[in-house]
Amino acid sequence: MKTGVWLHGDSLSERDPALRKYPEARSVFVFDRTFLEKAGLSFKRIFFLYECAVEAADEMRVGETVEEILEWVRQDGVEKLAVTESPSPIWRETIERLRQKVKVEVVPADGMVNVPEGYPVKRFTPFWKDLGKEWS
Amino acid sequence: MKLEKFSGTREEQARSLAKVMVGMYCEKVEEARESVYVGGRTAGLEALEKFQVQAYAGTRNKLKGNVSRLSFYIRHGVLGIREVAESIQERFGKSYDAIKFWQELGWRQFWRHLYGLWGDGIYKDREPAKVPLGSGTETELPAEIAEGRTGLVCMDETVRELVERGYIHNHARMWFASFVVHFRKLGWKAGERFFYRHLLDGDPASNALSWQWVASTFSHRAYLFNRENIQENGGKEWCARCTAKCPFDATYPELERRLFSK
Repeated sequence: MKTGVWLHGDSLSERDPALRKYPEARSVFVFDRTFLEKAGLSFKRIFFLYECAVEAADEMRVGETVEEILEWVRQDGVEKLAVTESPSPIWRETIERLRQKVKVEVVPADGMVNVPEGYPVKRFTPFWKDLGKEWS
Repeated sequence: MKLEKFSGTREEQARSLAKVMVGMYCEKVEEARESVYVGGRTAGLEALEKFQVQAYAGTRNKLKGNVSRLSFYIRHGVLGIREVAESIQERFGKSYDAIKFWQELGWRQFWRHLYGLWGDGIYKDREPAKVPLGSGTETELPAEIAEGRTGLVCMDETVRELVERGYIHNHARMWFASFVVHFRKLGWKAGERFFYRHLLDGDPASNALSWQWVASTFSHRAYLFNRENIQENGGKEWCARCTAKCPFDATYPELERRLFSK
């Protein structure tokens, strides 16, 4: 099955876990027009992302993320999209919309420590005492 | 729409990109500039290799201290958080400085965990404030603050550096946030937007929850600073140039009385 990788702003390099799982896959990064028009970021941030994407992605696009990815999927004959997990609500919503049109595999993000499912909210000090032993 | 890589110098590429992306950033097109910090994994790896962790623990709070300036690469996954931690382990072993550095990396994972749990709830007060705050209704900072025209050199220079370079030291972030929230009694969300817009490492959870940490809506107490703290960690150069009546020149009990008495 031909796999393509969607690189997003939380995982924008050749070291992206989805890309490491599928090193032969082609990759795409999208500047989301709606998000950027609303967020009003400084241009420095956008250019920084551009420099990251130039090195990391086979193709860069500008527009509505789901539409752009689907167009890329059609154009490249991609049958499955692999993407690294993100905690962002926008990312989750995007994945749900993509899943209606294409097969999507979510690859876990790299972490410094493993946070167990359902780990309760605490302050940082007890969090690190519980989970950061390898680094203490 | 497909976006091709532009040719030319960084400056020329930035100019070309600014024309294509018009309407998608906050500056006017003729004022759009690249940061001095270069994006991409090649630059990220170079910065990682240059970073020596020795003296990190003892100097990291100083504006001129040995901090890594890797945050924007880690934020965008250009460098993996574990990759950075392991690089320090391999090169310097488990020293006191390394442990302190890893702990700071751990904060990023902590914020990420909370973002996964709370989603956009990071933008709501997580707890009742421990001190009186302003109404919090502002969505933007007043122009004199956002444009660095308060007359307080320490705050104006912080803004100038943030806007020009897209990065400021963590201690400067804390001072500025405390100034906005406690000295000026503005809502933390206005400051949060300002930082998110300009910081190359702007991360929703790290930024919003750090502002809440300063405001005391996600911490046990409000964060305050005074002139002595600025001079100790930032040097005396700002104060030497400043002609304003300093609102920070007081002891902590005096500031608490002044700012937090109802």
